[in-house]
Amino acid sequence: MKKTSIVGKNVRKLDSVEKAMGAATFTTDISLPHMLYGKVLRSPYPHAKIINIDTSEAEKHPGVEAVVCYKNTPRVKFNTSATSTFTIPPLQPVEDQYVFDSVVRYVGDEVAAVAAESMEIAEQAIKLIKVEYEELPAVFDPLEAMKTEAPLLHGQCKEGRNIPGEKIHMEMGDVEKGFEEADEVFEHTFKLPVQKQAQMETQAAVAKVGVDGRVTIWSTTQTPHPSQRILATIFGLPYSKVRVLNPPYIGGGFGVRIGLSAKAEPIAMALAMQAKKPVKVVYDRKEDFIASDTRHSGYVTVKTGVKKDGTFTARKMRGLLNAGAYCSWSAETPGVLGAMGLSVYRCANQMYDGHSVYTNTTPGGAMRGFGNPQAMFAIESQVDIIAEKLGLDPLDIRMKNMMKPGDQWVLPYKCQSSGLEECIKKGAAAINWDCRGKVEKGSTKKRGIGVGIGSHVSNAWPFCGDYSNAYITIHQDGSVLLATGVPDMGTGTITTLAQMAAETLGISFDKVSVTFADTESTPFDIGSHASRTCYASGIAVVAAANDAKKQILQYAAKKMEVEEEELQIENNNVLAINNPEKQLPLNKVAVDAHLEGQQFIGVGKIVPENAPPWLAHFAEVEVDTETGKVKVVKLVAAHDVGKAIHPQIVEGQLHGGLAQGIGYALSEEIKYNDKGQQLNDGFHKYMLPTAVDIPELEAIIVEAAEPSHPFGVKGVGETGLVATAPAIANAIFNAIGIRFFEIPITEEKVYKALLNKENE
Amino acid sequence: MLKDYVQPKTVDGVLASLRQGNARIIAGGTDLMLDMKAGKTEVEKLVDINCVDSLKKIEIVDGSIIIGAAVTHQEVATSKLIQEKAPVLAKACRTVGSLQIRNTGTMVGNVINAQPAADAAVALIALGAVAEIFDENGISYLPVEELYLGVGQSKIDSSKQLVTSIKFPSLQSGQGSAFVRLAQRGALALPMLNVSVVVTLSGDKVDWLRLVMAPVAPKPVRATEAEKMIQGKQVNEETIIATANAVASQANPRDSALRGSGEYRKSVLQTLVKRGLIEAFAEAQK
Repeated sequence: MKKTSIVGKNVRKLDSVEKAMGAATFTTDISLPHMLYGKVLRSPYPHAKIINIDTSEAEKHPGVEAVVCYKNTPRVKFNTSATSTFTIPPLQPVEDQYVFDSVVRYVGDEVAAVAAESMEIAEQAIKLIKVEYEELPAVFDPLEAMKTEAPLLHGQCKEGRNIPGEKIHMEMGDVEKGFEEADEVFEHTFKLPVQKQAQMETQAAVAKVGVDGRVTIWSTTQTPHPSQRILATIFGLPYSKVRVLNPPYIGGGFGVRIGLSAKAEPIAMALAMQAKKPVKVVYDRKEDFIASDTRHSGYVTVKTGVKKDGTFTARKMRGLLNAGAYCSWSAETPGVLGAMGLSVYRCANQMYDGHSVYTNTTPGGAMRGFGNPQAMFAIESQVDIIAEKLGLDPLDIRMKNMMKPGDQWVLPYKCQSSGLEECIKKGAAAINWDCRGKVEKGSTKKRGIGVGIGSHVSNAWPFCGDYSNAYITIHQDGSVLLATGVPDMGTGTITTLAQMAAETLGISFDKVSVTFADTESTPFDIGSHASRTCYASGIAVVAAANDAKKQILQYAAKKMEVEEEELQIENNNVLAINNPEKQLPLNKVAVDAHLEGQQFIGVGKIVPENAPPWLAHFAEVEVDTETGKVKVVKLVAAHDVGKAIHPQIVEGQLHGGLAQGIGYALSEEIKYNDKGQQLNDGFHKYMLPTAVDIPELEAIIVEAAEPSHPFGVKGVGETGLVATAPAIANAIFNAIGIRFFEIPITEEKVYKALLNKENE
Repeated sequence: MLKDYVQPKTVDGVLASLRQGNARIIAGGTDLMLDMKAGKTEVEKLVDINCVDSLKKIEIVDGSIIIGAAVTHQEVATSKLIQEKAPVLAKACRTVGSLQIRNTGTMVGNVINAQPAADAAVALIALGAVAEIFDENGISYLPVEELYLGVGQSKIDSSKQLVTSIKFPSLQSGQGSAFVRLAQRGALALPMLNVSVVVTLSGDKVDWLRLVMAPVAPKPVRATEAEKMIQGKQVNEETIIATANAVASQANPRDSALRGSGEYRKSVLQTLVKRGLIEAFAEAQK
């Protein structure tokens, strides 16, 4: 690859000064003249019919300017997730919810909302709304919800009782034949918990309705353009009359707002339309926990046929996820779970079946990894079991079976590059794999080392539609404005996109500014999700930059009397490649063009292929056998990211993912009581690891360039937690010889398992 | 509805302010503010005690350590005096909440908030601490152990009374202490279990032991039977194990959907006690 001067460098992030100085604005910071505050009344029941709702007292309360419920809001069904805007036919989007409905389907479901002069008044007013409920039977477990006696949450579904969307089936080769060829067959079922994104900024939106009917929504969405379409559709407006933007920052996301920010946008909009004043809706942390998508809980079963030498002959997987009360991403997540689960290892005979099931719990939706961490906890635990049984080194069995470029797999795109072997080797060295099993084991504190590998995607296709656009405008002084529709939710998007633009154009990084995440100033982009931004939006930015560059060179060629092909832009100068003395500064070229009535405007319009990033995670743990407490001593994550545009950003992504993975493995879970109430409803009760729980983290960047991206990039946003939980679980096995089929692996689970083992 | 916020400069001023209106004392406010926000506590006037200089001291007087009501957890945790003369308390205060909470919340507030496993209270009971209480009838004294009425309920009525300080004898040579805690994460977590130990040895025999455990009942529990049993015993592994086994009869932890089953906690309690005893004995033998 050509030597780069900006790409691959840790340039100063474009948002760093604003954020360090506390000047960066987020939705929660927005304040407009005459702005009102919205508050939502939520269901105390997991499943109930609203027999009567009386809002008159709330309406009369001084300071209240709007009250909305199912009676005075659009009866248009939608899906809060962006999936409804890019589901590829013949699949149909599942649209199963209203802004408000006369039936509530989980504890926290929206019943009504109030807009008032202050948050205090709004909080008082929602208590004045009288609601008469008729409780309906409720169901909380996906297995129970498929039984004939289970209540139907959304009427008859075509694929089976309470099953949203289509069941997923993938198949390759002949699975039965593969199992016949096997020397041994292993089958295990794994149980996965509800994990919460726990992003810093809660769901929020501010809606303003102009006197001409145009609507502006500032919100925390990760996908302004698809959200524009969802909102315009609900309220029956032309898309062009609805502007959705970030202001311009989002306090994290991790997938929780791919589409709407739960229902913050439509509720703020409904209230603003009625009050004829701007309305701000900011979820408190409890609302964010109970009434905003989570990671899917569920069950994953893996059956694998193996030859004595460790070669996989067949694999059959089944994924069953808890959709919760509304579909959100529940039609797509089982697909990614299966596709990723089947694509890490080469195996000629594979089959996957999976789907979600509605229950009366908080909807499951997108969260970093999107089904993949569920799949890989199961698969990587089982691969470890197989290695143990066959007496193979866990690294050897993985190296033997791992996917390589050119191998056949279930995905409709090719695996064109892989640095997985390098990841495994470098990661193993960093964790001292050779010492595994030889570590001094104290009497009550036992140490172990484990590994987990995996892959992911670099955009959403083929699970959803995926494409990107970008504009590049060259100002008269040779500086550049990049317009891209994707948000920067803390992932460094605008910096890496600007690096690619500057590198492509041959200009210095500090000359690039970016307008982003605004439906009015940027062309359509799917948004920030599916680890796609640096990859897919990056391809569009490079295309736009190349388009602008071509225009510049065409113009300069005439001026300089040199063939266009002989010109290049370097360090803000247009110069002849073979005669560098012949050059013109870019600002001169741009201003000359301006005086002759021309601006260089590059447009990038691309449909990306897809590319697998590769990863190997290694964990060292210490298990306190007298309390069951597991301490992670060290984590190593070696990732093939294709090309690290900004290595520090890549490391930051990996560190964050690892921390989230530690929580997934050991402590994070939202549990329910028998009344359908979420027990872990805030940071006090939800055991996110804190800074003192995070061990030494070592991120190793491997770069096996990806041919489908101009700079060789692959996705990195989600990979950090794909195989963290199984690496930790496998290390626990190595320490105490106990296998866990359910996460989180809490101290009590470990303690009880140790007692059981002792009693055996 | 909160209407007034006053900051008296003397103890008398605090008591005078309490007499007017529906008033209540605020020190760090880390619990009170949450209760007020949640509507659990209705107050018209808050009487801030942080401007009373006499309440901000950590001092040693005639072998007794005195900690004022406005002293924060972090001040206790980082005090050289406490680290040397009552390490069990420094360690307990160090485990409360997070640095931000420890910088704001007071140790005495932790006691008066009366949670079953208040870390500072568990340590103070092991130290045999006594609270000095001012009200309109004058001064009175109550052992911290007796301040609990029930879960979240203290005998101290913060709308009428002010605990000015808590006092306990500093540890001497031949004495040792320990604080052991099990929680779901390293900070910002209520304890699944916490244990405090203070022991006095004479030679290689146990003179007396005070052992406090929580949350195994609505308030911190003195393992009195184990304390009795160990008196006069030789310091050795056998004694430690026998003592650890003896605490179970007085511990009845509840099942908690959030923080583990009673069965688990009862079983692990013995490990914590054992570890506490080993640490305290080692310190006493130094």
